[in-house]
Amino acid sequence: MAKPVVIVVGADKGGVGKTTVCRTLLDYFSVNKVQTRAFDTESPRGTLKRFHSNITEIVDMTTTADQMRIFDTLNSGLSVTVIDVRAGLLSVALNSLRDIGFLDSVKSGQITFAVFHILGPSIASLDEIAETANFMNGAKYFLVKNFINDTQFFQWDQSTYDSYFHRIKGATELTIPKLNEMAYEQVEVASVSFVNFVANKGPLDEIANYSFVLRGYVRHWLANVWSEYDRIDLTDLTGTTAVPRSSET
Amino acid sequence: MPLEMPPTPVYIICSPGLQVGKTLIARLLSEFLLLKNGSVLSFDINLREPSLVDYLPKITETADVTDTWGKMQLMDRLILDDGIAKVIDLGFHAFDEFFKMCIEIEFVREAVRNQVAPIILFVGSADRVSSRSYEVLRHQIRAPALITVHNQFVLRGELPEAMDRGPVLRIFALPQFLKTYIDRLTFSFTGYLRHEKDSTTELHQWIWRNYTLFRDIELSLMRSARLGARR
Repeated sequence: MAKPVVIVVGADKGGVGKTTVCRTLLDYFSVNKVQTRAFDTESPRGTLKRFHSNITEIVDMTTTADQMRIFDTLNSGLSVTVIDVRAGLLSVALNSLRDIGFLDSVKSGQITFAVFHILGPSIASLDEIAETANFMNGAKYFLVKNFINDTQFFQWDQSTYDSYFHRIKGATELTIPKLNEMAYEQVEVASVSFVNFVANKGPLDEIANYSFVLRGYVRHWLANVWSEYDRIDLTDLTGTTAVPRSSET
Repeated sequence: MPLEMPPTPVYIICSPGLQVGKTLIARLLSEFLLLKNGSVLSFDINLREPSLVDYLPKITETADVTDTWGKMQLMDRLILDDGIAKVIDLGFHAFDEFFKMCIEIEFVREAVRNQVAPIILFVGSADRVSSRSYEVLRHQIRAPALITVHNQFVLRGELPEAMDRGPVLRIFALPQFLKTYIDRLTFSFTGYLRHEKDSTTELHQWIWRNYTLFRDIELSLMRSARLGARR
């Protein structure tokens, strides 16, 4: 049986695009035919669930019951579990994972664990890196510079950033490019996955009437994001092989 | 065997240079399509120059590609296979932005998928900017969909060699007094053909010759659509 894979997407700051990154990951796994489930920790109202309702559950990661819902079912047959961690909860979540022995299982190789740490533009983000690094023994650590909301990373001094970055062995940097604002807004309004928007499909898979121009922008942007995931061999992490993509998506 | 419907053509008349005669070509082509099909929809993306909308206000809309909303207003209509030929008079200032967007949203590929046939009429000139832009377009759009226009009103000598290798549409120069005559805002090419009984006049023959060239482009479009359908 394939080893379970858990991917945590988080940041200690809000508004840096965690859910957007989660959505691109779920789309990526779906086109690569990787069985995936997702947990949205924006309890009680989920944001991720709005876009991927059929595979997403809303949970409160601070409660034991919901921790059990996620981690006691890792061997349920679905190979990848993606968790969208609410703003401010990343450190708390990692502490909980350590307390329940999850990180020990990662260290011993029973579970594949990856953290997508979405960085904000402020220096505080660098302190988050140092803090998160303490939990990364045996895990894959991805630092994501998310430009989707036009973040400039203006407060960063490159040498300071490098010194934090190099503290974590094997950390990998990823860049999410900017998406045209109107295109982003229209996908939000449509409440569908990026893949469905490109394919001109509504929430119930019905034919929609999205703008050709905006679909084009989303398709182009999504292809760039996925090429970043291809670069880091994300499907290898899940023990599968990337499916050659048609230009449809 | 049922006759295949030809794709809806979208003619994009463009050049990265100023005052090379794009609007003259757009006027001629729009009037030809209106005469032949009974309908045409022209777009003027040329707001800083003397432009198509001043000549053909009844069939021309203005468009703007400087922001996303303007791009949607234009491109979402160009991608429709509604059987109505479209003509775009693309001003030089919008040239880079328009084709950058076309690459990003994969306009040419999506158009073909929707039974729409983009045809670029690139008005050539001898300067380096024109040659560079032509090379960029040549990588995006293949002949016969990329046609160089040799407008002899503006370029008296030969076209640069690279532009002369593909299909070329040659617009002969008229004497200056006739040029001034056809440049009047109230002048209509088809109107002239209808009202001027003497078909031997230089202007009459010049208009017919150009209409015949456009007709040839349409025929080659229908032929390639038929070939494509059989493959």
